[in-house]
Amino acid sequence: MIEFLLAPLRYEFMVRGLLAAITVGVVCSVLGSYVVLRGMTFFGDALAHAILPGVAVAYLLGGGAQGPLFWGGLVAGIGTALGIGALSKTGQVREDTAIGVIFAGMFALGVALISTVRNFSVDLTHFMFGNVLGVSRGDLVLTVAFGALVLLLVVAFYKEFLVISFDPVLAEILRIPHQVFSYLLLVMLAVTVVIALQTVGVGLMVAMLVTPAATASLLTRRLPLMMAGSAIIGSASAVIGLYLSYYVSIASGAAIVLVCTAFFLLTLVFAPGRGLLARWLA
Amino acid sequence: MTLTGLLRRPKPHQHTAPVVSLDHVTVRYNGGAPALEDVSLVVQRGERIAVVGPNGAGKSTLLKLIAGILAPTSGTAEIYGYGAGGHICIGYVPQRSNVDWAFPVTVADVVMMGRVAKIGLLRQAGRADRELVRQSLEQVGMTSFKDRQIGELSGGQQQRVFIARALAQEAELLLMDEPITGLDVPSQEAIFEILDLLKVQGMTVLVSTHDLQMASDKFDRLMLLKRRLVGLGRPAEVLTPHNLQQAYGSHLTVLPGPEGMLALSDTCCEGESHD
Amino acid sequence: MKLVHAIASALFVTVLLAACGAAGEPGSPAAPPGAQPSSVLVAESFLADITRNVAGERLAVETLIPLGADPHSFEPSPADVRKVADASLMIVNGAGFEAFLEPLLRNAGGERTVIEAAAGLTPRAPQPGEHEEEEADHGHEEGDPHFWLDPNHAIVYVENIRDGLAAADPAGKDTYAANADAYVAQLRELDAWIKAQVQTVPENRRLLVTNHESFGYFADRYGFRVVGAVIPSVSTAASPSAQQLAQLVDEIKATGAPAVFLELGANPQLAAQLAAETGMKVVTGLLTHSTTAADGVAPDYLSMMRYNVTTFVDALRQESS
Repeated sequence: MIEFLLAPLRYEFMVRGLLAAITVGVVCSVLGSYVVLRGMTFFGDALAHAILPGVAVAYLLGGGAQGPLFWGGLVAGIGTALGIGALSKTGQVREDTAIGVIFAGMFALGVALISTVRNFSVDLTHFMFGNVLGVSRGDLVLTVAFGALVLLLVVAFYKEFLVISFDPVLAEILRIPHQVFSYLLLVMLAVTVVIALQTVGVGLMVAMLVTPAATASLLTRRLPLMMAGSAIIGSASAVIGLYLSYYVSIASGAAIVLVCTAFFLLTLVFAPGRGLLARWLA
Repeated sequence: MTLTGLLRRPKPHQHTAPVVSLDHVTVRYNGGAPALEDVSLVVQRGERIAVVGPNGAGKSTLLKLIAGILAPTSGTAEIYGYGAGGHICIGYVPQRSNVDWAFPVTVADVVMMGRVAKIGLLRQAGRADRELVRQSLEQVGMTSFKDRQIGELSGGQQQRVFIARALAQEAELLLMDEPITGLDVPSQEAIFEILDLLKVQGMTVLVSTHDLQMASDKFDRLMLLKRRLVGLGRPAEVLTPHNLQQAYGSHLTVLPGPEGMLALSDTCCEGESHD
Repeated sequence: MKLVHAIASALFVTVLLAACGAAGEPGSPAAPPGAQPSSVLVAESFLADITRNVAGERLAVETLIPLGADPHSFEPSPADVRKVADASLMIVNGAGFEAFLEPLLRNAGGERTVIEAAAGLTPRAPQPGEHEEEEADHGHEEGDPHFWLDPNHAIVYVENIRDGLAAADPAGKDTYAANADAYVAQLRELDAWIKAQVQTVPENRRLLVTNHESFGYFADRYGFRVVGAVIPSVSTAASPSAQQLAQLVDEIKATGAPAVFLELGANPQLAAQLAAETGMKVVTGLLTHSTTAADGVAPDYLSMMRYNVTTFVDALRQESS
């Protein structure tokens, strides 16, 4: 049993991959609590796609080097987050319309940029599905550093985020700058999406944001517990997913997401009190 | 509300000024028809006023204006002598349909939210804050429910939680948007007991409601709105057939009854959100 | 009412345009099939070079896929479809290499002769101990199509091209035959040169780790052992599982493979991790799917092969640092 657990750890790439995946699992799930409670799932998915042109530009300017991709994606992500926020504030379009418009446009821009430079064979699969096995030491440092920053902000401004999420009217009355914190949350989401891209890629990003938090919401009715719970579920899914990839030989990003989903389904059925089984027996 | 709003210190109240002073206030949403038109009124400290009127009369709009959430399109609104946006001493109890009851917060969490401004940025709740929350819960009789998630409460209990939050805010003005709607009689009584207690403490209270009967029974002052201020004063003075006709139009039938006038309203008002 | 009219007109015009589009460009090929062709459209640049050597002055040779682009992930643009529509004679690698071909030919419509360079060649079986494809890989159900990286197979290419051109252009039959013979002689020379080069690498270091499984035929012919590929597939569009990567690491450590070789444009991330883990070198810039520009290191097939072999031999000959 011990050997079973330790065998994959003999490989450096596995160790780095695990650390990156756990970090991403925790950060995505914690921020995912806000995504679930504030109904921002579509927004999260949109951000993941909207990062493509940033990555493409960084790839083209940086001659294919890894480092610039992170920053290019970050710039595009933050820009998109703020852009969507601003567009929906004008009141001319509804928020989900604004999201749809910008997300599709950005993604198309990215595809167009990549297609114009046809003698670069840009490896889009890794972008779409993640490349957690290719995490270098530099990548890991960036992931952990930015992940820690996001978590720090969640803790520091916990009560402010809580008020603006639960009761924006109260926020107004208490003179909490609703706009500022709202935008801050969007930026934190953008950062989370960028660091998570390497683990699960654009296609599966939403799952990391939403599924562990949704699972935790079935288990508890208190927000701090929900965040802690989703962090545990998110990181457990990351670890189990990678072990699955090692022992059963399936793509790692997909494995992680499948484990997240399995946790959700199990909880949906078996949750004490609120699960389907409990309701059926009651 | 901008970042600079956070940096402005709340101004001290001018205690000689009326709590609420509206001067020819008009509120329009997005350049449409006015929700409130040319309203001028004064509310003194400690008053307990029921805000009545049909759907669309602007009751919610008035409360939001006073709370500082809406700005007047024209005219001025002052709380304790200053523009409403500068105060944090206003407790606002929202309509029940506007609250996300599934949100994972407990009763105690909601009441503690009232302290957020006083706690300040980057600081945690201290012993004084927790004590105040405890006291607020006790005043409304919700101490034994403090760890319940808010969706598990009855309608009356939910209202009391938000009153407790206003107390934790150290509010001096309490605005309640349709708190009585849909509550059974015992729950209604419980709310009024609390309001009596608050009156003794000098809290100024504005409550909007559809229930004319209850309004005239329980409140010594009534404000009748139909976008304009139709009347403000004692129930008998305000609820004249002429005023009622003006406010409710065809939705109300006024009949002579054995002990005075009988007003029959046929506006349906359960579970809708009103402006 | 006006709005309804406007919408209806817009819809009508749109449908009209769509119908025109669907009918396709009036595909008038350069010359109807049967008439003497003056040009031939070749899918890949290295194949185009081989074709030029056979066709000589008789035909203009055009390449479809731009230099440096990866044919595995090539997506034809409308301009490409037009090129194909205008061509009456085409040469492709075949053996399932061009995943985009079927739909492209369908879209272009019309008729043309398509010569398959790899016709008649049988796909290889993996070496003992080499990773086996468990199931058909998307786009490459027929096995490994990278025949051309063994010059002896290239000779078969030349023969297929010669015969195909002669069938389309009987008047040039003798020219093609003569050109083909001359070129085959050069290919045999290349083969001999490669053998000599490989001799300079100690036998225990003739180990190939590449970014995807393209050098199978080369390895078979010249006695290299294929230790594995970072992407265990003959298509570049796949990703390895942790298990596959771990197995590769073990294999590399067991065999002492000195270097991992990446083709030009391949994503170096995974290879970099492998190298960090095993201490092997990362060598980039292999040219497998395309020649370079005229002023580059490998403007034609022969120099492309020499470049690759030199890269292999240099990296494998040295003691690892």
